Amino acid sequence: MDALTLTLAGIANGSLYALVALGLVLIYKTQDVVNFAHGEVLMFGAFAGYTAYRIVGLDYMSSFLVAIVFCGLLGAVTERLFFRRLAHHHHITLAMVTVGLSFAFKGLARVPFGADLYTFPPLFPDAQPIQIGQAIVTLQNLITIAVAVALTTMLFVFFRITTLGKQMRATQQNLLGAKFVGINTGRVFSLTWALACAIGGAAGVLLGPSSLLYPDMGGNFLLKGFAAAVLGGFESVPGAIVGALLIGVIEKLVGGYVSTAFEHISAYCVIIIVLFVRPYGLFGVKPIHRV
Amino acid sequence: MPWDTIHLWVRRLFIPILLAIPFFTDRYVQYVLNLIMIYVVVGIGLNFLLGYAGQFAFAHAALMGIGAYACALLMSRLAFPFWIALPMAGVAAMLVGSLVALPAMRMKRVYLALVTLAFAELIQWILIHWKTVTLGTDGVSLPPTQLFGYKLTGDHPMAYVILFVAATLYVLGQRVVTSRFGRALVALRENEIVAQCSGINVTKTKLYVFALSSFYAGIGGGLFALALGFIVPDGFGLFQLVVHFSLVVIGGLISMYGSVIGAVVLTALPELLRDFQWLQEIIYGFTLVIFILFMPDGIAGLGKRKGWLPREILVRNWRDLEQRQRSHASQEGRK
Amino acid sequence: MSPLLLSASGLTVRFGGLIAVNEATLEVTEGEIHGLIGPNGAGKTTFFNALSGLVATASGRVELAGVDITALAPHDRASLGMRRTFQSVQLIPQFTVLENILIGLHDQIREPVWRSLFSWSGRSRAEDLAQQQVLDIVRMLGIEGALFRVPAELTFVEQRLAEIARALVSRPKIVMLDEPAAGLSPSEVTALNQLLRRLRNDWNLTIILVEHVLSLVLDVSDRVTVLDRGKVISRGTPQQVSSDPQVKIAYLGDDDHA
Repeated sequence: MDALTLTLAGIANGSLYALVALGLVLIYKTQDVVNFAHGEVLMFGAFAGYTAYRIVGLDYMSSFLVAIVFCGLLGAVTERLFFRRLAHHHHITLAMVTVGLSFAFKGLARVPFGADLYTFPPLFPDAQPIQIGQAIVTLQNLITIAVAVALTTMLFVFFRITTLGKQMRATQQNLLGAKFVGINTGRVFSLTWALACAIGGAAGVLLGPSSLLYPDMGGNFLLKGFAAAVLGGFESVPGAIVGALLIGVIEKLVGGYVSTAFEHISAYCVIIIVLFVRPYGLFGVKPIHRV
Repeated sequence: MPWDTIHLWVRRLFIPILLAIPFFTDRYVQYVLNLIMIYVVVGIGLNFLLGYAGQFAFAHAALMGIGAYACALLMSRLAFPFWIALPMAGVAAMLVGSLVALPAMRMKRVYLALVTLAFAELIQWILIHWKTVTLGTDGVSLPPTQLFGYKLTGDHPMAYVILFVAATLYVLGQRVVTSRFGRALVALRENEIVAQCSGINVTKTKLYVFALSSFYAGIGGGLFALALGFIVPDGFGLFQLVVHFSLVVIGGLISMYGSVIGAVVLTALPELLRDFQWLQEIIYGFTLVIFILFMPDGIAGLGKRKGWLPREILVRNWRDLEQRQRSHASQEGRK
Repeated sequence: MSPLLLSASGLTVRFGGLIAVNEATLEVTEGEIHGLIGPNGAGKTTFFNALSGLVATASGRVELAGVDITALAPHDRASLGMRRTFQSVQLIPQFTVLENILIGLHDQIREPVWRSLFSWSGRSRAEDLAQQQVLDIVRMLGIEGALFRVPAELTFVEQRLAEIARALVSRPKIVMLDEPAAGLSPSEVTALNQLLRRLRNDWNLTIILVEHVLSLVLDVSDRVTVLDRGKVISRGTPQQVSSDPQVKIAYLGDDDHA
């Protein structure tokens, strides 16, 4: 497999990781919470899409939307139910709640879907792989990259231009100030979670075709998303995206040139090595403490 | 309710009862009791790190796995007797745990969780893929445990080994937390700045607690291997980790009693629900969340507030001090 | 002439573009009570943090008893005999007063690990000694009754005194108190005044006092340094400083430009 093919495949995977990382960074920046359940959000998205497509019989686009809306709602409800009241707790507490939820979600998914492995067909099942120069890339991968780019751009525009987006940025930067100015910070929190989870759900549907669907599938993507966010310093959205793409590509290259067994482990090694060398990530900044 | 008298008698009768129980139980019940004692050790180890020191690290299950494999491999490949293999299992886990901790200590809190998670995945991957050493998913069988030529196979003889180790580590743990180190851990958890300005070397203290916690995890893993007689890499992943977390949160953070209570509650439950993994996951997950929301100091915390459990003040022989202070105060009053 | 115990020269602290402390110099002689005053935002607490080693300095030098401590970490400075309190009381909420104060003795409770962990009875000589020291200090400060209570069960004054006890229990060379009188009633301030004098006279303790309650600081201090917007604008005895026109302008504003 030549380098360009691997790189393109890596970029496709990286786009998925970027969507996961985006969700993580969004929630962290707004509420200082590391959402260990984000992998399960992705899993729910995948299964929601599957249910809509295979069981209910909707078309692909609608299934996609169903997944996004379902996950968005899930995010908003989770925030309202659990994290609103915990806003001022120790960070350990918050993280532990997400760990507990992650577990409960997996168990819940196992009830309808635990017995088997499920598959999700690609958008164009009969499409041939496309040749770009020396490289071969599947249509599904191209679609994944395109959708990821589209979503990221929409998010970017949303934050810069719409009022709601500006309110969310204001709340992120200065919670008290935002309250003083009259922003409904509670609503902002719910929306942040909704948005983050919706993106996660989108990633879940996008990866459907290239992976088997099973309740434990989220964990792997969570770690990759973390790795990407860590590279970016956990504070920077562009950093997370760059990190995600890097990880996707490194993974595939290692898998292609060294051994497939090492493919997944390389992301973990990247986290470890990067944090050894630059404890605040590639783009992160050392925090200033005030006593 | 004369709680003080009750506490006194529990303290006196606890060990004798545990020593006598194996004569009255069948194999299965004793097996569960053995598991409980093993999880007491594991729980105490995690409580040092997550409870007292407030370090949110994810490597505990993987370190337990290292202890289990170290013990199993030393006994099966190198024919070490269990009373050498077990301590060495603790040391092996301690070394790995400290290695993981070294970079992780200096990082922002969220990164500690991530790095330890990454390490845990790495360790699991190694256990599965380093087939020449660990035999991968085939698992490792332990030879029968022997002491001076007598075979200690079976849950009843093993019970005494496990009880001895668990009891010793419990007493040791008590002494650790009522020393200046134990207090430093809580200071570290609550207010690093105050800790530093009071002369506590935060970095060194963090390293020590990681080492200590990993040692307990390793011994717990070794005991686990001895009790089961056969181990596979699967058992030391995320599921095991959530059991550990649930154990200390539900039992009670920053509490020795909490580790014991958590071990009892959380070992009995999975045994009853053995065939229903999905149900276990849902129950663990939601119970963890509910406890964190409504009872963050766990059952032990509730017990201490209601007086069912004695106070756990991290000072040696504090009751003597309280006595002296009270008599001094009443003397002053009489003047 | 008493020797210099603490000297900070040319200390500068920057937070990004903001210069919080600007080439500040402070000289504290042994056994004196030295006040550090200035209007809000003058940089007093930041200066304290720089002395403690909690913030990095862009330039300058700090010496304690002749030892250059500029590069030392906070815990090393504490072990050399520098202790402090904080603007808002920082007690560990789960700890009783006893445990809180014992934190202050951390680096003095020295005992080989083996003896502490493996003794048959579990008694520890070092711990017993430390407990006695705690008992002595709480008796001196009058909070003995609070020994087994947690901060939530204490009055505000008791909390403040507990924090001061934690700073004092190790018999430090110098103690830095950050607004200890804030929130105290006039009689409590008087009691604090007397306590500080006792500590200086009986223990020969050196004290640096950041304070807004001018009646206290100008009365109890031997010498005073005044900070405004990060710069030292005046120093001397309380009388000299309170009649210094620069100080008046800093606190009250300039009449000519009203």
